[in-house]
Amino acid sequence: MKARQWIGTVALTAYLAVIVVPLVWVLISSLKTSPEIFASPWSLPAQPKFENYAAAWNEAGLAKYFWNSVLVTVGSLAALIPIGAMASYIFARYPFRGSKLLYVIFLGGMMFPNFLVLAPLTDLLRRLGLTESLVGLGIVYVAFSLSFTVFVLTGFFQSVPTELEEAAVLDGCGHLMVYRKIMLPLARPGLIVAAIFNGLGLWNEFNLALVLANSESIRTLPIGLANLTMARQYQADWGSVFAALVIVMLPAFVVYWRYRERIYEAMLAGAVKG
Amino acid sequence: MKFVVALASIALAAGLAGCNSGSTPEAKETTTPTAGGKLTGALEVQAFQGGYGIDFYQASAKEFEKQHPDLKITVEGGPRVWESLTPRFANGNPPDLTFPGWGMKHWDLAEEDQLVDLGPALDGKAAEGEGTWRDTFDPQILALGQLKGVQYTLPYYVMIYGWWYDPEVFKKNGWTVPKTYSELLALSDKIKKKGMAPITFQGKYPYYMIDGMLLPWAQSIGGIDAVNAAQNLEEGAWNSPAMLQATERIVELKQKGFFQEGATSMSHTEAQQEFVQGKAAMVPCGSWLFSEMKKTMPATAKMEYFLPPFIDGGKGDPTAVLIGIEPWMVPTEAKNKEAAIELFKYMTSLSVAKKFVQEKGTLMAIKGSDHGELPDVLKVPSKTLRESKAVYSVQFRHWYPTLSTELENGLTSLLNGQISAKEFCDRAEAAADKVRKDPNITKHKV
Amino acid sequence: MRNTKGRNAFIFAFLSPAVLIYAVFLVWPLLQSFQMSMYRWRGVSRNRKFIGAENFNNLFQDPVFWKSLQNTGTLLVVAGIATIALGVLLAHLTDGDGAVRKFARAIYLFPQVISLVAVALIWQFQLNPKYGLVTDMLFRLGLPVRDPGIVRDPRYAFSAIAVAFVWHALGFFVLLFSAGLKQISGEIKEASALDGSEGWHRFRHVTWPLLWSVKRTAITYLLIHILTVFALVFVMTEGGPDRGTETIVSYLYEQIAKNGQYGYASALAVVVFGVSMMASLAVLAYFRKDPTAGARA
Repeated sequence: MKARQWIGTVALTAYLAVIVVPLVWVLISSLKTSPEIFASPWSLPAQPKFENYAAAWNEAGLAKYFWNSVLVTVGSLAALIPIGAMASYIFARYPFRGSKLLYVIFLGGMMFPNFLVLAPLTDLLRRLGLTESLVGLGIVYVAFSLSFTVFVLTGFFQSVPTELEEAAVLDGCGHLMVYRKIMLPLARPGLIVAAIFNGLGLWNEFNLALVLANSESIRTLPIGLANLTMARQYQADWGSVFAALVIVMLPAFVVYWRYRERIYEAMLAGAVKG
Repeated sequence: MKFVVALASIALAAGLAGCNSGSTPEAKETTTPTAGGKLTGALEVQAFQGGYGIDFYQASAKEFEKQHPDLKITVEGGPRVWESLTPRFANGNPPDLTFPGWGMKHWDLAEEDQLVDLGPALDGKAAEGEGTWRDTFDPQILALGQLKGVQYTLPYYVMIYGWWYDPEVFKKNGWTVPKTYSELLALSDKIKKKGMAPITFQGKYPYYMIDGMLLPWAQSIGGIDAVNAAQNLEEGAWNSPAMLQATERIVELKQKGFFQEGATSMSHTEAQQEFVQGKAAMVPCGSWLFSEMKKTMPATAKMEYFLPPFIDGGKGDPTAVLIGIEPWMVPTEAKNKEAAIELFKYMTSLSVAKKFVQEKGTLMAIKGSDHGELPDVLKVPSKTLRESKAVYSVQFRHWYPTLSTELENGLTSLLNGQISAKEFCDRAEAAADKVRKDPNITKHKV
Repeated sequence: MRNTKGRNAFIFAFLSPAVLIYAVFLVWPLLQSFQMSMYRWRGVSRNRKFIGAENFNNLFQDPVFWKSLQNTGTLLVVAGIATIALGVLLAHLTDGDGAVRKFARAIYLFPQVISLVAVALIWQFQLNPKYGLVTDMLFRLGLPVRDPGIVRDPRYAFSAIAVAFVWHALGFFVLLFSAGLKQISGEIKEASALDGSEGWHRFRHVTWPLLWSVKRTAITYLLIHILTVFALVFVMTEGGPDRGTETIVSYLYEQIAKNGQYGYASALAVVVFGVSMMASLAVLAYFRKDPTAGARA
């Protein structure tokens, strides 16, 4: 028995190392000069080059892109979660003729690579006057995130026991009241999970933002990072590329760290039971 | 079920409404006839942001605005700018002046009537000095922007392809630059014995090897005709004796161990980094090499250009040099075509071109722009170009992307020893044949 | 609660925002894209030519299409099995107390948190034939990974993609299976122990079947993400060497970006979409019934 425990711990440590080591490497490299990175990839920098971060933040314009990303991510989530929750609630609790088909249609949105629809999508946005705007991007983000959101939240609403509902109805609650007073509070873990996973996805979203929000003033962080990476590839300044990478990853880590217990609980409660 | 129908109808109606509101008024043409030569309105420039950045274009635009105070110019771009430009062309709202970069299929644009014929503009007066605008360009380079004689695009900077070495390293070891292939073999042997890799290359992007070895050697052996025939998709041109022998040279270098270990999977920055760090003695690349690597080069590293070694006994031209351009163009649906053309005229004036040469360390398509004191790294390429009796360019890559992809894939397998030189050439010829026989692909002639 | 008073109005009100946005901004452009599969279109103007089923004909005769399909399928099976097996294993391992386990639980979602582009970039460096850590380790194990280098080596490139994918996605599955394992009630565990069922035997015959809903979610999720995997392939190997890691989406991208063949790419997309849908429905159907329902006394 002890041997098994020991093997388990070793295996686990190996797993952790595999996760942590590359990330630590990025952190170390972000403080090195480019020649240093290539000359001895695993050594510590001679002198931590914090200018890489300044360069990434100021020169490469990451400050502005950061703010744009925050705006569009938070804005999209503010619309996505309520809208997605409402629809999921119906799919979970209010079956009607054709509701299953509609549900499958919603799932279908995850089954194609989104750069395929860029041309007709940009045409549509142009007609609506929504190109090159964070509002347009946000609306598109909501549309494209609904599939996953509905998938997660429907499963969640389905696993709420019906007794509570029935009790509320007996108490005289109408549909809306039941939703607000009973369902939403119970579904909070699921809502949080949906918000966090969607948020992470939107924070890192690239394909759509590249085409729909390309002007300098509204560019988001992933585009900025990619530009930096590729522009820097042409000028081979890898230190600031990694610094930029850290800047992009940091908020995501912070959010995840803050909510990691919630995510775990929510999964336990059946957020993705489907 | 009624609800589904109801909802669907809303969706449909919304969709159709979106479809029918094509009456969103497009911004009207913002040029006014140049009263007294002054341009007005807005001018949007979108440019590829690569090794030379877009800061020069932005600075030029600012200067130009001083001459035309009522003109407002925006210059933006990115390393993948064509990805956002392509849908704009499709939807009829392209920028006014653009350098969309290597990922844009500009010949498709030309064939779809999306680009303005700049011939008439070229016949106009130049920005500086006497003569027409056309006269200011090197005619051979200018021709690269034409399709069936129509000038759809204009060149700006010129890239020269060849090989690079570190003159300090060579001097220290008593090595001389190899002019012929046999010299290359002897030199590589010496280099290898010294513990350095003789040749490295950007294996992840096989077109570097095509530009640096395959085509120049096919030219060495069979002359420019051999390369032109291949580009023109003439039957048998891709498995001609010249092409086959050129391929066999690559195989020979590989088998003798003269290629750096692992080069096949290296990206351009990785391989080039090996070169500037002195792990490899020679690397094929274009004249952007210095600009691309200057931030990561060790302080003591130097680089110098030389032509790919000439195959002994070949009937080609030993002074032949491969060049490339990256085109600028004016879309037919641009709103301010006149200002676009005038701005580009300004940017291609001799004084501005010379500034670009100095600042960015690259040659330009403008005649005379290479006179005067050139940056060190440009001296040899410039001299080589001026003294060359045969200048050619890889044009088929843009005309026939499927052929190009097949060549690149085949080259990787060749380098991995999975196919022989003959098989590679046969594959190339088969791919060329497929393009030849496809009626939907427009054929061009060099 | 099924009183019809205002039920229909309620359904309508709650569904319409989602349906509206989804239909206008996703379904409509998607249908247009699918429609494009019957045209030849270069994507740079409004000109397009109707050619009926020609794109599909060409597609089914295209050896690269079949190769990419094969690659994608293999990736699905290989990465899928690895992810699920490792996910279950690590779910067991991270259960319980102890500093290591707690720390593991805290950070195993880290790779999911960073974007796929960043993942690809990190792996690109670690697979470099000269200084990559992965190359180094594998080389010490005796593998010939220094030449031609993993990403262009027909023996290793595919595995590299699979490993990078698993590295990125594993955390989510560990989480999923952890939750699933916790839900299996303690009673069942005790009961099966009384039956003499232990360890591996218990896992195979009791635990594993009880994880059916988690398995269903896991496989669906895997399906969708592997069928649409693009960034990893694009950045790390570009489908090389010589189509060795070409997946259907990377080939689709090549058709759009390199060849300007939007119609052909759309035909490919229709096929991808169709396959994903059918596969997902198959998974849903297979896992429809709770195999343990009614199994309790």
